[in-house]
Amino acid sequence: MIYYLLLPFLSILLVVLQASIADILFSGRLILEISLIVVIYAGFRLDLIKGLTLAFILGFVYDCLAGSVLGLFTFIYMVIFLCSFFVSIRLSTEKLYFIALFSLICSFLEEILVILFYNLAYGLDIVKKTPLIFPLQAVLISLLAVLFFYLMRRTEGFLYGKAFQSTERARTGRLSAEA
Amino acid sequence: MFLRNYKTVIFIVALLAIALILLSYNLKHETGTGLVKKIVLEVAAPVHKILSLSVKSVSDTWLRYIFLVGLEQDNRDLKKKINELKAEFILYQEGYLEAQRLKKLLSLRDNYDYNFISARVIGREPAALSRTIMINKGTAHGLKMGMPVIAPPGLVGRLTDVSWHSSKVLLFIDESSNIDVILQRTRTQGIIRGAGSRGCILKYISKTQDVREGEVIVSSGIGGVFPKGLLVGVISRVDRQDAGLFLKINITPFVDFSKLEEVLVLTAQEEEN
Repeated sequence: MIYYLLLPFLSILLVVLQASIADILFSGRLILEISLIVVIYAGFRLDLIKGLTLAFILGFVYDCLAGSVLGLFTFIYMVIFLCSFFVSIRLSTEKLYFIALFSLICSFLEEILVILFYNLAYGLDIVKKTPLIFPLQAVLISLLAVLFFYLMRRTEGFLYGKAFQSTERARTGRLSAEA
Repeated sequence: MFLRNYKTVIFIVALLAIALILLSYNLKHETGTGLVKKIVLEVAAPVHKILSLSVKSVSDTWLRYIFLVGLEQDNRDLKKKINELKAEFILYQEGYLEAQRLKKLLSLRDNYDYNFISARVIGREPAALSRTIMINKGTAHGLKMGMPVIAPPGLVGRLTDVSWHSSKVLLFIDESSNIDVILQRTRTQGIIRGAGSRGCILKYISKTQDVREGEVIVSSGIGGVFPKGLLVGVISRVDRQDAGLFLKINITPFVDFSKLEEVLVLTAQEEEN
């Protein structure tokens, strides 16, 4: 229960923190989307209910604070979480190169969805204005994801004595009904 | 039974539906800041503030104390700039002081009906034998031997040697210099004789005369070398000695000879021209 109570506050903290860091490092030119990496991490490690709630709240907070249309990132984060979740059921997600590749794909997916949304809803071609930003950001996220997963693995090892395994998600392809 | 079996699926679909409804609703109605959004912003504001403050302090520390690349070069450049500016400032200050001196010279020029030639002091006689200065004007500029030389606020001396482009001025404090003067208050006439570093001595003033310390002495115009009324000095000491007929009077010249830089040479009276 405490997880659900703390989640909104931690989400706000994370989104504010990533905005502050991005502002220092890139002066607002690039977005350091650690929240996306957290969603992917949740997809690999958490169960469906917890992870989806995290994706929903994190996306919602991101929408509120980033100034995008409310619901856009909420939806995108949930989609990415579901993708990560189903991929983690089918494939081994322990390898760092896989994490980097998957994060890169997720980042591109997110960007494609954002571009499509703005194009369809407002008729804006945001790729034309900043063509280099999106691939650069995707690469940055994939590199950061590797670092994030590595650090989380070390933390898990430190806290639990060995790497935390979400083996409860039996690799059967069936969705667990546990909450 | 159905709900229990598909609880997770229903949960996923419900959340996705909420997100999509939220998105389409906001897209259609442009609701602006809703209540939930307001709450999120309210919670985020202090977090943002604290983070910004800590980030700023870290970044300030980094920039001020750790990230000092190029600071040495900046320091060197600034020091160089300071030296350049100091030199420039001294130059301007020198120009200002020169302007002040020339202004004084010009005001002196207005006080007398004479033609003047201004000259710059280019040298001083270091020996104690004679008290002379060198100026940068000579016969080529119209100077002649014996012409009086003045500087603010009064008499300096006269030209003793004149070459084409420089001249020697014998200061009236030289021991070989004698000038006929009068006491401004009592109009008593006397002769001033140079006494070197001690200034001058006023001679041939009778003991019966009323002479006081602080009295101003001006040139009398007798002798034809110095025009009448030029400020010479002030009485600094009156000694009424027992022996002799005359008073022993010490004079302090008005002009500070050690600081002379520019002088005026009186060439001729304007009326003559």
